Amino acid sequence: MTSTAHIDVHHLTRVEGHGNIVVNVSDGAIEKCEWQVPEAPRFFESMVRGRHYSEVARITSRICGICAVGHTLASVKATETALGIEISEQSWKLREILKHAENADSHVLHAYILVAPDLAGAPSVFPLVETMPEVVACALRLKRLCHEWGSLIGGRTTHPTMVVPGGMASVPTTKELAELKDKLIAAVPDLQATLETVKALAPNVPAFDRPTEYIGLANDENYGLYDGEISSILPDGTQQRYPVADYKLVTNEFVVAQSTAKYTKNKTDSYAAGALARFNNNYDKLVPEAKEAAEALGLAPICTNPYMNTVAQVVEVVHSVYDSLRIIDELLETGVELEPLAEPTRYGKGANSVEVPRGILFHEYEYDADGICQGGNCIIPTNQNHNNIQHDFNALVPELLEADKSEEEMELALSMLVRAYDPCISCSTHALDVKFVR
Amino acid sequence: MRYLVGLGNFTAGDDAVGVHVIDHVWAHGLDRGFSAIDLGANAMNLVSYLNEETEALLVVDATQLGREPGEYVIFTPDQVETQKELAGISTHEGDALKVVEMAAGAGYTIPPIAVMGIEPLAMACGTLELSERLAERVPEYTQAAIDYLLKM
Repeated sequence: MTSTAHIDVHHLTRVEGHGNIVVNVSDGAIEKCEWQVPEAPRFFESMVRGRHYSEVARITSRICGICAVGHTLASVKATETALGIEISEQSWKLREILKHAENADSHVLHAYILVAPDLAGAPSVFPLVETMPEVVACALRLKRLCHEWGSLIGGRTTHPTMVVPGGMASVPTTKELAELKDKLIAAVPDLQATLETVKALAPNVPAFDRPTEYIGLANDENYGLYDGEISSILPDGTQQRYPVADYKLVTNEFVVAQSTAKYTKNKTDSYAAGALARFNNNYDKLVPEAKEAAEALGLAPICTNPYMNTVAQVVEVVHSVYDSLRIIDELLETGVELEPLAEPTRYGKGANSVEVPRGILFHEYEYDADGICQGGNCIIPTNQNHNNIQHDFNALVPELLEADKSEEEMELALSMLVRAYDPCISCSTHALDVKFVR
Repeated sequence: MRYLVGLGNFTAGDDAVGVHVIDHVWAHGLDRGFSAIDLGANAMNLVSYLNEETEALLVVDATQLGREPGEYVIFTPDQVETQKELAGISTHEGDALKVVEMAAGAGYTIPPIAVMGIEPLAMACGTLELSERLAERVPEYTQAAIDYLLKM
């Protein structure tokens, strides 16, 4: 058994934002075991105060460079709830396709670029360009597909412009939708290749189980990425649903000293959000092709290994492609036309939610009689996962010590665990930093 | 097609100068002969424009050049080496140059690419506006970028 270990990972790499891993073990006693989040709050809720309802989503979409679609959708949906706006079936379907595109886009990035290096024993994706060029090429092809997929519906995938309160500001033509359908069908070989790659790397996924509560959106019709009630499922299969309006009764935010991000908890000490949580809550609503993919990859509900979140993400990519094909067929059958935006029927307070790649996302706003925002609240999924990561650490570190793992092995195991959650801790700056050589 | 691409985190002050340039193009209807793209902080989506159909691509991004804040330089990727220590690439950790490098390694056709690097003054998170020094020069950056792109 390992009796001494000192791990201090300052700004863990291959996650979105900054987080630290600190573990101190002396004479077999765990003195410190922490997942620390040092990011500064960004006060988006204050930025939206005093803004007209038509501007709010354009601001909150900037919360994240990856989940900009999700933040736009959650923001617009919350505004529509607050203003009593009902959108058309066509707008609903287009938004569902857009949601699929964002999830697939982010999952491809995470699985291929951020996680695959760990499973392939590489320090980053860059060595894989030489050792596994076809895998990297496949990843980039899928990334491009997802960008085009989302751009067609959203106008652009980064901070989309077409999703507005009341519906869609613009819609694709049936010809463009038919072309998107062709592109999605043409991507099936790349999906198959992705499944083969993940299957080959799956034996390297660490074996670790910690039963916890899993929370995500769910409804009776589909997988619940765009809409639903809050659903909680426990490892024994106990499932409970809550209205989205009661989201604060589920999230129960609280603060801890080691994190600038708030923690959350519901029925158990912590809960997980994200692809694995959705999979555990909504397995029955996956399309058959996604269920087959899950079976091929050894993923079955209720899975309590957090490392399998990445595998669940890959299953969701398959689901998003095939479910989008279904929705596109429905739209091609009915035809698509630009519709007038639905108008507000009242001004007040409203909360709503969507599933973003990292889990369930809540937005809430209050508007005065002129449609000016008086206040807002956003609870992002990564914050909901921090507490669960900490509890995973608490369970995993003793197991690693008992298994006589070295500091390096422990550091890798803990780093991989955090990466499995695909945390998007906060947006940071992205400026280039260069030196002229010519 | 020629593309003018703005990169940056819109909530981090001068980090978003590239995005503000694109906003300026749209606000004044200057996108004639090229397409203006706001990629925000998602440099990975540059791969969508790395192909035979792209005649030229100019990326506008905040760049730590060691110059006076507000100064800009237009350079090609082969003229510089990144100073970032990257263990991977993501929307937060990567940069445009790394995306181009990875795509080239994966066999992508890389069109003529240049970067307009603008030295930032302040990049504090939670700041929606550019610093005054950069904000007043956005029209100048925009015109210089367009002139360069159309001659590439």
